[in-house]
Amino acid sequence: MRKVTEKTPDLPLAGLRVTDFGQMWAGPHLSQWLAVMGAEVIKVETYLRLDFMRMIGIPPGFARDNFNAGTAFASLNYGKKSITLNMNEPRAQELAKKLIKISDIVTENFGGAILERWGLSYEAMKKLKPGIIYYAGSGYGRSGPAKSRPSYAEIVEAYDGSTYLNGYPGGGPATVGVSPWTDATQAMHGAFAIMAALYHRDRTGEGQYIDGAMIESSSNFLGEMVMGYTMNGELGERRGNRDKYMAPHGCYRCLGNDEWVAIAVDGQHEWAAFVKAIGSPKWAEKAEFKNEKNRRKNQDELDRLIEEWTRQHHQYEVMELLQKAGVAAGASLNIKDLVSDPQLKARQFFIETEHPVLGVLTLPGLPWRPDGKQKGNYSYPPLLGEHNDYVFGELLGLNKEEIVKLKEEKVIY
Amino acid sequence: MGALDGLKVLELSEFISGPYCGKILADLGAELIKIEKPDGDAARRWGPFPGDIPHLEKSGLFLFLNTNKLGITLNIESESGREIFRQLIKGADILIESNQPKEMARLGIDYRSLKKLNPALIMTSITHFGNTGPYKNYKGSDLINYHMSSEAFGNPTEGVDDRDKYPPLRGPMHAADFMTGLTAAVCTMSAIIGRQRDKVGRHVDISAQEALASVTRQELAFCLCEGLYPTRQEGRKRVGGFLYKCQDGYVNIWIGPHWQKLVTMMGNPDWTEVELFKNPALRAEHQQDCNKLIELWTQEHTMADIDRLGIEYDVPLAPVRTVKEVVNDEQLAYRNFFVEIDHPVAGKLKYPGAPYKVSATPWEIKRHSPLLGEHNAEVYKRLGYSKKDIDGLKRAGII
Repeated sequence: MRKVTEKTPDLPLAGLRVTDFGQMWAGPHLSQWLAVMGAEVIKVETYLRLDFMRMIGIPPGFARDNFNAGTAFASLNYGKKSITLNMNEPRAQELAKKLIKISDIVTENFGGAILERWGLSYEAMKKLKPGIIYYAGSGYGRSGPAKSRPSYAEIVEAYDGSTYLNGYPGGGPATVGVSPWTDATQAMHGAFAIMAALYHRDRTGEGQYIDGAMIESSSNFLGEMVMGYTMNGELGERRGNRDKYMAPHGCYRCLGNDEWVAIAVDGQHEWAAFVKAIGSPKWAEKAEFKNEKNRRKNQDELDRLIEEWTRQHHQYEVMELLQKAGVAAGASLNIKDLVSDPQLKARQFFIETEHPVLGVLTLPGLPWRPDGKQKGNYSYPPLLGEHNDYVFGELLGLNKEEIVKLKEEKVIY
Repeated sequence: MGALDGLKVLELSEFISGPYCGKILADLGAELIKIEKPDGDAARRWGPFPGDIPHLEKSGLFLFLNTNKLGITLNIESESGREIFRQLIKGADILIESNQPKEMARLGIDYRSLKKLNPALIMTSITHFGNTGPYKNYKGSDLINYHMSSEAFGNPTEGVDDRDKYPPLRGPMHAADFMTGLTAAVCTMSAIIGRQRDKVGRHVDISAQEALASVTRQELAFCLCEGLYPTRQEGRKRVGGFLYKCQDGYVNIWIGPHWQKLVTMMGNPDWTEVELFKNPALRAEHQQDCNKLIELWTQEHTMADIDRLGIEYDVPLAPVRTVKEVVNDEQLAYRNFFVEIDHPVAGKLKYPGAPYKVSATPWEIKRHSPLLGEHNAEVYKRLGYSKKDIDGLKRAGII
């Protein structure tokens, strides 16, 4: 486990401050990258409308409405600070403006131009802080006929064509994976764009407005499909675990219950190595399997025969045996197997942090490590409003009485 | 002006993950020299090809992934090829590579060796499992990595009726490779920012397995904190968007807090009043029954009808569209998303465009993907090679 530290002076984004209005998945995942990389991310929340993720994945033993116990929220918000502001209140809007004045970046992923309604258009923010980088994430973009349509990851997956192409060969379309895939594509394209904008700002002093449409980042992942259509009018096909050229190329049953292994054999040389590794069975000499083209044509039969062999072994056994022979193979891991996978363990992919409500909390880290012996900023996911006193007192200079009063009057709320 | 103007990038990588990382940098203005083996990047042989006729200069995957790059050929298996590579390294800010660690060591171009030549170099190594750990030299691929990260185990999200018959499933196209490339770009960019401060280079170690496992973060949290883990059984999905059959295809509807609007949109059917579906918690418990009833309604409508009603009633939904509808989409056209790029061999084609709109330093296509070795003369001349030298290298099979 990577142990958590709050002292992060040498991280790449140290010294930068982010005012973050992100919510749900894509927004928080974006600012989570910036936070772990060292930026001070101040998440603006409100009791009036909680980040939905605070209520998701509350472990047994905690009240169903304990908004500090949501593990989905925890997985998306470590490294950040939390303040509460009731932005319907003009005084709250003024405080947000003060915070933006001392920020480098503002991020949000509201369903529309909410910030504008609060007097925080890009033009207004630029006046408050020249050089500000403002990132607005949305499903369809902040312009055009669909700009106000509500959207979520699965909706964008249907809209961008990935649902149509996801599924078993010969079967129907299917939504991708267990996780909001397109949320991740948007969040990470956004994190990249913000850092590129920072690089530009550091050299020129100039800020940017970044309009990040989920549909436009996710469509880039489907570039191959777009090219196929513009070249040949092709709609593409559901390949599932199969490949356009390679065979065998699939996922095969193993010895245990619902235990599987993925195998990809590339070319004749690997085929020969594969055949030898599985004990040179007689069937492998047949003309039907002589070359890649034949194997692809007779893939159903080929897969059946391979499965006769994989069924006698555990997934990691198959993987180790084939990898030793120079053939790509990998255990098809369930989420619980991932936690004990030797490679992820050796690389300390999981992080451990002490959370005031949840106790010792183990979570997936980011697939990023800072230089040398440093650790990323994995401070525990903030309690709602935990940093109100620090932000409004220390950073914005309000005195204790003022803060108490603003809390009582539900401005800091 | 591009945001990354002036940054010099070398790409010693092929197919998807490394080239997508490179494309993201190059499309915002970095100068990128792509180094190909004399017989070219594997993506040149992948397709799609116009009329399905294979041609090294007409592969759609390659054309899309290598915009704004200069292309040279170089055989780094030869010592003189490696000498040229080392010269290129001396003038580079960033190297993107995706070779097995043992291969880089064998060629004497691992990070430790290159750092001596250029201490400020940022080297981004994209591998299937990372540069450390027991699997560091294992082979992987889009398929293997998708499965090794647990992404496949929960796919399809709707589940299957027979888990023995339907294996865990890879995502569409090359989703895993693209996600890996994007992760590499984000991490590389942070290294660039970090280097601004201390002027010291870095080794950025990207594992595809981790890049993909990271996306399952909330499911990992449920597993680690609650002992829950998703499999492919039908009905396991309780929140988010669901697929419903309609007259001529499918739609995805995301109910969540939009239940009342959905009920109104469907014309207030009687069943929505029953106790079973009264509140979100009860509905989640009876999600499958609820979905079957919603489907009775969707099946009587076309995708276009439901799409129109979704706009009218402000319900988050989308028909399951093919690429044809994507390319001809009104919203994307309004935002000028698709770009037309002219290529000397493949001709004029529509490509996906900017993944983000940045106001001061717009994303821009300045050059089409390079022909094989298109910039050999230009790049090698910069290193001080004469035309005669270049011809000699060509004859020797080095470039």
